[in-house]
Amino acid sequence: MGGVEDDEPASKRMKLSSEELRRLSNGSTIKETVAGSSGDLMARPLQSEGGEEVVGSKGVIKKVEFVRIIAKALYSLGYIKSGAHLEEESGIPLHSSVVNVFMRQILEGNWDESVVTLHNIGLTDEKTIKSASFLILEQKFLELLGEEKVMDALKTLRTEIVPLSVDNSRVRELSSYIVSPSYCTSVQSPKQDTLRARSRSKLLEELQKLLPPTVMIPEGRLEHLVEQALVLQRDACMFHNSMDKEMSLYSDHHCGRDQIPSQALQILQAHTDEVWFLKFSHDGKYLASSSNDQSAIIWEVHETGVSLKHKLSSHDKPLSSVSWSPNDHQLLTCGAEEVIRRWDVYSGECLHVYEKTGLGMVSCGWSPDGKWIFSGLNDNSICMWELDGKELECWKGQRTLKISDLEITGDGKHIISICRETEILLLDREAKVERFIEEDQPITSFSLSRDSRFLLVNLLNQEIHLWNIEGDPKLVSKYRGHKRTRFIIRSCFGGLDEAFIASGSEDSLVYIWHRGTRELIESLPGHSGAVNCVSWNPANPHMLASASDDRTIRIWGLNNLSRSVKQKEPRHSNGIHYCNGGT
Amino acid sequence: MDVDPRLYEQMAVNDNDIHSIVMSYLVHNCFKETVESFIACTGMKQPSDHLEDMEKRKRIYQFALEGNALRAIELTEQLATNLLEKNKDLHFDLLSLHFVELVCSRKCTEALEFAQMKLTPFGKEQKYVVKLEDIMALLAYEEPEKSPMFHLLSLEYRQHVADSLNRAILAHANHPTYTAMERLIQQTAVVRQCLNQEHGKDVPQPFSLKDFLKS
Repeated sequence: MGGVEDDEPASKRMKLSSEELRRLSNGSTIKETVAGSSGDLMARPLQSEGGEEVVGSKGVIKKVEFVRIIAKALYSLGYIKSGAHLEEESGIPLHSSVVNVFMRQILEGNWDESVVTLHNIGLTDEKTIKSASFLILEQKFLELLGEEKVMDALKTLRTEIVPLSVDNSRVRELSSYIVSPSYCTSVQSPKQDTLRARSRSKLLEELQKLLPPTVMIPEGRLEHLVEQALVLQRDACMFHNSMDKEMSLYSDHHCGRDQIPSQALQILQAHTDEVWFLKFSHDGKYLASSSNDQSAIIWEVHETGVSLKHKLSSHDKPLSSVSWSPNDHQLLTCGAEEVIRRWDVYSGECLHVYEKTGLGMVSCGWSPDGKWIFSGLNDNSICMWELDGKELECWKGQRTLKISDLEITGDGKHIISICRETEILLLDREAKVERFIEEDQPITSFSLSRDSRFLLVNLLNQEIHLWNIEGDPKLVSKYRGHKRTRFIIRSCFGGLDEAFIASGSEDSLVYIWHRGTRELIESLPGHSGAVNCVSWNPANPHMLASASDDRTIRIWGLNNLSRSVKQKEPRHSNGIHYCNGGT
Repeated sequence: MDVDPRLYEQMAVNDNDIHSIVMSYLVHNCFKETVESFIACTGMKQPSDHLEDMEKRKRIYQFALEGNALRAIELTEQLATNLLEKNKDLHFDLLSLHFVELVCSRKCTEALEFAQMKLTPFGKEQKYVVKLEDIMALLAYEEPEKSPMFHLLSLEYRQHVADSLNRAILAHANHPTYTAMERLIQQTAVVRQCLNQEHGKDVPQPFSLKDFLKS
C-alpha cells in the first residue's frame, strides 16, 4: 500500500510510525502526517486512491500529466535538450512512439504513411480518424496543386478525399481550386489566401486540436493553466484598482486598500444650494455638476486639481441632470420639468434650447453618434430630436416617470428609463421590442455601465441591484449598507474595468463596494449633508467625485497622493485643498 | 365544375382564333409535318421561310436535349448570330452541358481543360461563381451520378436548357417566346384561383386542368 518510494535518496527518507503508515494507506497526504516536512517536499509523489501517482498538497495533480505538460512547455520555449532530458530522466515520454512517428511524417510530408500511422495511434472515435485523415489529405491536395501537379491532385481528391464523406462543401471548394490558377487571378476572391497550402507545422497544430489531448498535448497548456490561476487571483482581489500592478508568479496577487480613493483631496464650493447631480466627461478631463440653485458648472480636471471653467446659469428651475455628448464637446442640462439646454463646453455658450409647449422635460441623453438628443417629458413620453431642434420621434404612453433617469445604450439601439414605479423599460427603438426589469420595490434611480451590459438600480428599500441587461434581464448582485429614506440617491460604476460600485447616502458618507464580491470596502466621511450623487472618473480610476446637500462637491483620491500634494502647498490642518468657485 | 355552363355557352369563339392557337403551339415545338397538314386543311397562310427555320430550330433543340451542346452552339451561331453573346447565361448553361457530358464519359483531363478554357472566363462575374463551383465539384466524384450535384446530369436539366435555347431563338426572330396555349392555361388557372379565394371557398387544391377537362 502507499508510502515512501524506495529509490529516493536517503536524506529524504523519513521514519514513519505505524500510525502514520496506517493513515497513508487510507490515501491522506504525506504533508500532513510527516513531522518536520518542509514545503519543498511538495513535489513528492504519492499514491492516490486510483493507483496513479500524484503531486501537490491536494493530491489532485497526476504526476504523469504534470511532467508531460512541463516537457511540452520546455519544447515550446525552445529548450529541446532540456525537454528530451526530462523525458529520459522521468521515464515519462511526452508522446508515445507512434505519435512521434506520426508527427515526423506530417512535418516531412509523408502523407500516405501518416494516414496509416493515424490508424495505429489507437483512437476510438471513427469520426476523429476521418476528420484527421481529411485534414492530412487536404494538405496533400493543396501541396500538389502548389507544385502544379494538377492531375495528381485531382486523383487525390477523387480517390482519397471524397470517399471519406467528410465536409462536402469543402470538397466543392477544393474542386474549384483545380481550375483556379486562371480563375483566382482575375477574381478578387478571398479564396486566394486559402489556396496556398498552410505550413506543415500549422497542420500539426490543427491535428493536435482535433485529436484527444491525452494523445497529443495541446500547445501552451501549462501557460494556459498559469494564466487561469492569475486571472482568478486578480478577480478575487478586492482592491485591484491599478493598471501598473503587475502580477507575479512568486506570490498570490493581493492589492492593498491604498488603491481605492479614500481621501478628500478637494472641496469645491461654487454652488449656492444643494448639488443634485454630477458626472465626469468620457475622457475624464471635465466634470459637470448641477444644482438646486438653477445652475450647472463645468469644472476642468488638471494634474494639480479641479478648477471651475464655466457657470451655466440660464435655467429658471433647479437642474435635475446633465449629459455629456459622446465627444465631450457639448453638454446638455435639464431643468426639472422645464427645458433642455445644449451648451458648448469650451465657450460656455448656450447653443440651443429644446422645449415642447405645454410640457416640461425631466431627463436628457445623447445618441452614441452625437446626432440626436433624447428626452423624457412630464407627460410620460420620450422624444427624440435632431440637434437643430427638429423633433424626429415621440414614444407616447407610459414610457417614463417625472422622476426618472434616461440612458441610451452604446449601440444606439436601446432607450432605458423608469416607466413605472417598480419597472424599468428597455426599449429597442428599431425593432420596437420592449423588455422590462421588474423589481419588488420602487426604483429611484439607475446607472448604465460603460459597456452597456449592466444596469445598477437604486431602490427605495436601500438596496442597490445589479442587473445584466443582455438578452433577458437577470439580477446579478445586491449591495447594501448605505442609507436612503427620503431623497433620490445615485450610484455609479467605477474604478479599473468598473470593478467597483460607489453610491451616495443620506448619512453623508460615500460608500464603495467591490462589485464582484459585494463587500463594502469603504465608507468615506466628510460631507455634512446627504450625498446625492457620485461619479467615478472614467480615465482615472483613482478619482471619485461626490455631490451633496451641503452645497459642496468633494474630489476623492488616493491617500498617498494627498501626502505628496501637501508638501507642495502651504500646510493645511488636514491636507484638504479647498477650492472656491470663480477662478 | 362549379360555374354554371349556361353562362359561357353564350360566348362566341372565332374559328380563326382557335387555329392560331393551335398553330402557335405546333410552330413553337417544331412539329413540321403537322404544321404542313394543318395549313393544308385549314387554308391558313404562313410565310415560306418559317418552315426552314423551324427545321433548324428543331435540330438545335434535339442536340441540346441529347447533351451535344457543341453542335447545338454551332448551329445556333449559324442561325442567329450574336444570340449567345447577348444571352450569356444561356451560353454558360450550354457550355456546362458539354462539360457534364465529358465528365459523364469519364474524360476528366479533357473536361478540366475545357473548363479552364471556356468556363472560367465567366467566373469574373460574381453571379456565375456559384454555378461554376457546382459544376467544377462534379470533377471530384468518381461517380458523378452519386454526387450532390447529380441534378446537372438529369434529363430535366437538359430539357430546361434546351427550352431556354428555343425561346431565345424565337425571341431573336421576333416571334413570341411562349405559346398562346401555355399562356391561356396559365391565365385560366390564376383567374380561377383568385375567384375561389374571393368567394371565400375552402378550395384545398389549386385549379387542375386535368379535372376540368374530364368534367
